This record gives sequence, C-alpha cells and structure tokens, in this order.
Amino acid sequence: MSEQSAPVEKAVLEVTEVKKAYGPTLALTGVDMNLYPGQVHALMGENGAGKSTLVRILVGATRPSGGAFRLNGERVSFHSVSDAIKAGIVPIYQHLTLFNELSVLENLYSFDTATAGLLPPYLGSAAAETAKASLARVGLSVSLEQKVSTLKLGERQLLEIARGLQRNCTVLLLDEPTAALNAHEADRLLEVIRGLAAEGVAILYISHKSDEIRKVADVVTVLRDGRSVICGAPLKDTSVDELVNAMLGHAFAVVDKQMPVPGEIVLEAKQMVLVPGGAPVSFAVAAGEVLGVIGLVGSGAEEIGQALAGARDILSGSIAIDGQLAHPYSRRDAVRMGVGYVPPDRHEDGLFELHSALSNASASILKTVSKFFFLQPKKEKASFSRRFQALALNPNEPDREIQHFSGGNQQKVLVARNLAIAGLRILVLTEPTRGVDVGARDKIHDAIVEATHAGQAVVLITTDLEELTSLAHRTLIVRNGQIVRELPQFSSPDDVALAMLEQE
Amino acid sequence: MADSPGYIGRLRMVPKSLWVLVVQFAVFSLLVPNFFAVSNFENILRVSSILMLASLGQAIVIILAGVEFSVGSAVALCSIVAVFAVQSVSVPMAFAAGFVIVLVIGAINGTLIAYAKLPPFLATLAMLMLVHGVASLAVGGLPIEAPVSESFYWMGRGKAFGIPVPILLAAFGLVVHYILLSKTTFGRQIYLVGSNERAAHLSGIAVNRIKFLGYVAAAGFVAVSGLILTSRVASGQPNLIPNLPFETISACAVGGLSLAGGRGSTLQVLVGVLIIAMLNNSIVLLNLPTAFQLAVLGFVIIAAVVFQTTPDRFSFLSMRAAFAQKTKPQGDA
Repeated sequence: MSEQSAPVEKAVLEVTEVKKAYGPTLALTGVDMNLYPGQVHALMGENGAGKSTLVRILVGATRPSGGAFRLNGERVSFHSVSDAIKAGIVPIYQHLTLFNELSVLENLYSFDTATAGLLPPYLGSAAAETAKASLARVGLSVSLEQKVSTLKLGERQLLEIARGLQRNCTVLLLDEPTAALNAHEADRLLEVIRGLAAEGVAILYISHKSDEIRKVADVVTVLRDGRSVICGAPLKDTSVDELVNAMLGHAFAVVDKQMPVPGEIVLEAKQMVLVPGGAPVSFAVAAGEVLGVIGLVGSGAEEIGQALAGARDILSGSIAIDGQLAHPYSRRDAVRMGVGYVPPDRHEDGLFELHSALSNASASILKTVSKFFFLQPKKEKASFSRRFQALALNPNEPDREIQHFSGGNQQKVLVARNLAIAGLRILVLTEPTRGVDVGARDKIHDAIVEATHAGQAVVLITTDLEELTSLAHRTLIVRNGQIVRELPQFSSPDDVALAMLEQE
Repeated sequence: MADSPGYIGRLRMVPKSLWVLVVQFAVFSLLVPNFFAVSNFENILRVSSILMLASLGQAIVIILAGVEFSVGSAVALCSIVAVFAVQSVSVPMAFAAGFVIVLVIGAINGTLIAYAKLPPFLATLAMLMLVHGVASLAVGGLPIEAPVSESFYWMGRGKAFGIPVPILLAAFGLVVHYILLSKTTFGRQIYLVGSNERAAHLSGIAVNRIKFLGYVAAAGFVAVSGLILTSRVASGQPNLIPNLPFETISACAVGGLSLAGGRGSTLQVLVGVLIIAMLNNSIVLLNLPTAFQLAVLGFVIIAAVVFQTTPDRFSFLSMRAAFAQKTKPQGDA
C-alpha cells in the first residue's frame, strides 16, 4: 500500500480524459485513472455513472470518442476484446464465462483453444503442470479432470481468475466479483486478490460495497455523470461521507422550502411483501406530506414505488387509500383512484417518442379531454397551458415532438402528465430529477411543493440526498427490501448517508 | 402561440411517399399508353378498392406494433361463408354472415395477442394456416359458385350515383379510418400503445383492451374488402387471394408506415395503395407478363422505403434549406 506514497513506480495503465459519446448522449465526459502494478484500485459509482462504459473501453469492447489510453507508457487503442487480452488486460465479470460441461483443464486453456491448430493446447504433461501452477496461484485445490459444473460458485470465480492469470496478465479487472458469493467465499477471494497484488499485478476492483473496498483496495476512483470526481485517492484518507457525496452528488446546505404541515393519512401500506421471502414493509403517508424513501441500487426502494403505483403486484399485505382497501390494484385502478407515478426510466417507461409533448402529457387523462368517443383538442390543450407555463416548459410548444425536447423538459412533461390526473391524491416520484439540469430540477421541486400545498401526499424515492433532505418530512432508509430506519425532517445529507451505510 | 410551420414546414409534413406518387403519376401519364384517361383512373380505383380496405385494416395493426398475416385466409373464408349462406338466406343476411366471420377471426387474433401474449407474427401466421385449412375443408378444396343474382353482384360490380360501389365503399372506409385514428380517443390510444406499451400501461391505458379492439376494428375493414371481392367473383374460394397479407403490408410500407409501430396516417395508406395500384395497372396496359408484376413490386417496395428512411439531409427540401443557410450573409456582430 506504499505505492501511492511513492509514485516512482510507473503506471501500467494510464487513462487520461477518456470520453465516450453514444449519438448525442455522453456516457463518459472525462475520466482520469492510473493503475499501478501491485496496487488494488477500487472503482465506485452509482448505476449510470459510466462504470460499465469505462470497462467496455478498457477491455476493447468499444472505442473511446476522445482522450488517451496508455499501456506501459505507450499509447494504445484496442480494436477488439482479443486485442485487450493480448495486451494483458484480463476482465473477470460477475456472470462467469466458463464452460460448465468441460473440465477444469479444458477451461484453463479455453482462450488458447480458440486460436489453436489441429491439436488442443491442453494435451501433455507440460500443459498440466502449468495448469496446476495457475490453480495454486489462486489457492484453488480441485482436480484438473473435474467438470466445472461440479464446482462451487466461489471456486468457479477463482478458476476464472486462474484462467486469466495463465495468460500474461498485467491488469486484472474485476467487476463486482463477490456479488454472487457468500461471506466466506468472498473473504477468500479478497485474500487471493491481495496476494496477486503483492505479486505485482495491477488490479481494478469494481464494487458497490464500501466495506469490501476498504478491506481490499489501496486507492479509489469515483465516477459520477461520466466523470471521475475522485481520482486515485488513498482510501485511508477518504471518509465514507466523502465517498457517498462523491457518488450521489454534492451535499449542499439544506434550502428551506415552505412545506405544509401534514394532515390526515391518505395512503397506508400494511405488511406489504414485494419479493418472495422478502420482509414485510409498513408505512403511511399523510395529505400534504412528502415521504422520502432512499436506498442504494437494488435495495428495493424502487419496488416500493412500483407497488404503491399499482405497477407491481404485492405478494401479501395491503395498500389502503383513504382507509379503503385497494384490491385488486392494477396501474389502471391506481390512476382512477388518483395515484400519479413518475417512473425512474423516462425513455423505457414514460415517453411516447414520436408524439407531441401535449399528447405525451394527456395520456393519463384521455377520458377527461374527450366527449363521447372523440378527443377535444381545445380542451386537451387548455388542460396543460397553465401547467406547462408553471413548469417553464422550454420551448413552450406543446405540439413539438417530445424527442426534440431536452431531458429536463421531457421530465417536466411526465410530471405534468401525473399532476393532471383527475382527483390526484397521491404522487409517487422515482428519481424525478435524475440526469436533469438545475433549472428543470428547481421547477420540478416547486411542482412537488405546490402539490403538497394542494393536499396531495407525495412519496419521493430518490438517491439525491439534497433533493431528499430539502423536501421530505420523513425519510425511510431501505436496505435488502426492508425499512431499516426512519429519519425526521431536516436531517442533514450526512445523517442520511451514514444511515444508509450503517452495518446491521 | 404555437409556431406556424411556414411554407417549407408545411411541405415537410406531407408524407414523402406522396412525392413518389406524384412523380410516378407524371411519368406513367407520359410514357404508358392509355394510362391518362378517366376510364383508366376509374378502373385503377375500382380494382384497388379491395387492397385499399384490407390495407386500412392492416395499418391499424401495424400502428399497434403488430402485423396481420391472416387477412388473405379471412377473406377466403368470408367468400365461402357468404356463398354458402346465400343458398338459404337473403343476400344482405349472407353478407352479414361473411362480415361476422371475419370479425370473429379478428377477435381470435386479438385474444391471442392481447391476452394470451403471443407474438403477433406467430399468432396471425398460425391463424393464416388454420383459417385456410378450415376454408379448404368446408368446400372440399374446390370453389363453390354463387347462384346468379343481381343483388349478390351489386357490391363488387354495381354502381351508385354513377360511381362504382367498390370505389364508394373504399372512400367511405378512408373517411371512417381517418376519423377513427385522428379524432377519437380510441385512435389516440392505438398510437400510444404502439409507440410505447409500457408507458401506455403506466399511464393507465387499458393496453390489452386497446390491442384486442384494434384487431377487431382492423377485421372490420378487411371484412368489407372481402365482401367486395366475394361479390365480384361470385364464388367461394379457399385460395381466393393468398397474396393479400403481403400486398397490404407492402402498401403500408410503401406509404411510409413504420413497421415498428406508433406512427402512420390514413393518407399514407391511401398513397401506398395507389402507388401499387398504378404500377399493376401500367404493367397490364404495357402487356407485360404478370410475373413481371411481382418482381417490379419487390423493387418498388425497396426503393420507396429506402427513399423514405434516408436521412433528411439528402432530400430536396433540406438541400434547399441548407443552401439558403449557406448563402445567408454572415452575422454582423
């Protein structure tokens, strides 16, 4: 762990200002990262921060649109995955790429088999010796003849690493390698990784788990919005808060919003179970209240939103609106009962691409803007003229196709769609301002505040700490599908961050 | 408040396929003998009315991001049912029976696709075979003739107000189709479901019901097309018009509908059908072998679709706009 303090050692892999654009969208806007031999380098970031794009570039699966990429000081550009493997960059993914019906030996030579001549490369005693040495390097004691399908998951993970090491491996890239392992297997893997680093391999370790990263890594790079916001900082000098703030966004001072005092209970979830074997969750939201819900990716926070909106079946338990049991409860029933829902992925789940902003907005109130079977274009337009103005839709051209608006304005249209629902009682918003510019964010926040003043109950599911702490009356912390804590109004972003990362 | 599209903008809103039609019409008028004649125009419209109505149905399904392969079999069974029925009931009742059988096939397609969640391609392909099999079994493989009757012939061969009845029916179909798609709530829901089914569901639209009703509505147009054909040939035939599914899909594609769903207009269907009808008509006028027809049709589909999906920068109007931009004096700041 002394490499960082003594940077005399040359970086084996240097990434400078790497950018990647997919069409008009920028996946990476500028990433800097240096990997040193003998160092475990952690890479962190929320989903969508650009981790997977960076990995795809490193392994030669896609080419960067800008920036430089040096291996042992020489500028390189990979045209394919096999280029990267030849150069000694070995990726290990969370989904294994072993051949389950072949033996351990055959698997260790599967890269060579791909390019071998008539005879398979794993014949002969020399090949067996090399294979045994590779297994020993990762501390794996299995027979070479054993079929991979008979190995435990942890053993397979180690075998995959052994296969990579058998080639010349200068950079080992591990993407969430412990995701499918139990605690014991994970510890063993981390030990092997430390051992490999001691041998001089440069290791890039991608994970969400901060405790694991503290155990194994020397330095950390954090990506947010396609940019490296922390760049090779020594982990021992970096606090959990700093990491979380870097991952989720800045923790600004809480802006005081004029929030109303909550009234009567509007929605009550009782003993709601969302996944088989999951823990039941119970909570209530009152009129004029903003209930914040936060959890890391995969924590089950988004699923709670889906269930409240009727977009996901609940396995047991109940949802009551105004004291009335909502059952059966489809998304359609929910709209009729006045439950709005802004989904997390606006392109997949929200937008009608080739349609105007207006017909995108009116999708939930077609009945209201129709007479008998016919649409009333004037009524449709009138229903949104004030709302679009309040949200500062820019340009304010309701007939313009939705795809010609910026992400922030598309999001405003989705918010408008839900605010317009007849008899709106409850508004469920999931990441309402993700990937949205500051102006649109303010307007959407204003709309949420206005909704609470109109007596609507708001459930705000977000990983944006500033958004959460400035709007929520109460905040539920969700982990493993369970509500683990409830924080009061005016909690600081730091309190929330700490509560999220607390160990059970 | 809304920006007025302006001259260029308004021209842009015209489907590109209309330009194909205009050019084709001009070229054929000049080069194909006997093409430019009122009697020939009437002939084109009369002959194309069957394809027109069936394509209007196909278009609804395509906008729903589906496809309908069983239209040909449905029309064949329609003819057989109508000819069987007319032996025991009146002509209107017999035609009503033919109409209903097509609606039933549409309802089965709709059920399979909307509720049993079968892919439209598979469901309607299976229905093509199933209905064709039923139609063949019903008549033992051979055509059955309708008894000679003026009223049976009226729909396919008759005239009203001096205009052939098939043309009037096709025109009526176009108007109904236009109103259905662009003026009704149901039409809007068809577009939204075709554009993004998940978003439609989350907006509270009854996605399954809209899909089901969409297939039934499509069958309504196909049924009228089937009755015109039945009346014209005055017989029930299991192999009446096997190419109808492909011709209707071609007409929609040539007209400019996106086969991915979510967009398309009645005008585009009209244009697509007329392009194909004028082509077939000219091949006959030029005394070319009918085998020629299929080859040319294939070529035209490719050409028309390539032309329409080519990026705007290659189109005439954008070139003009780009030219205007370039020749504009530089800013004086």
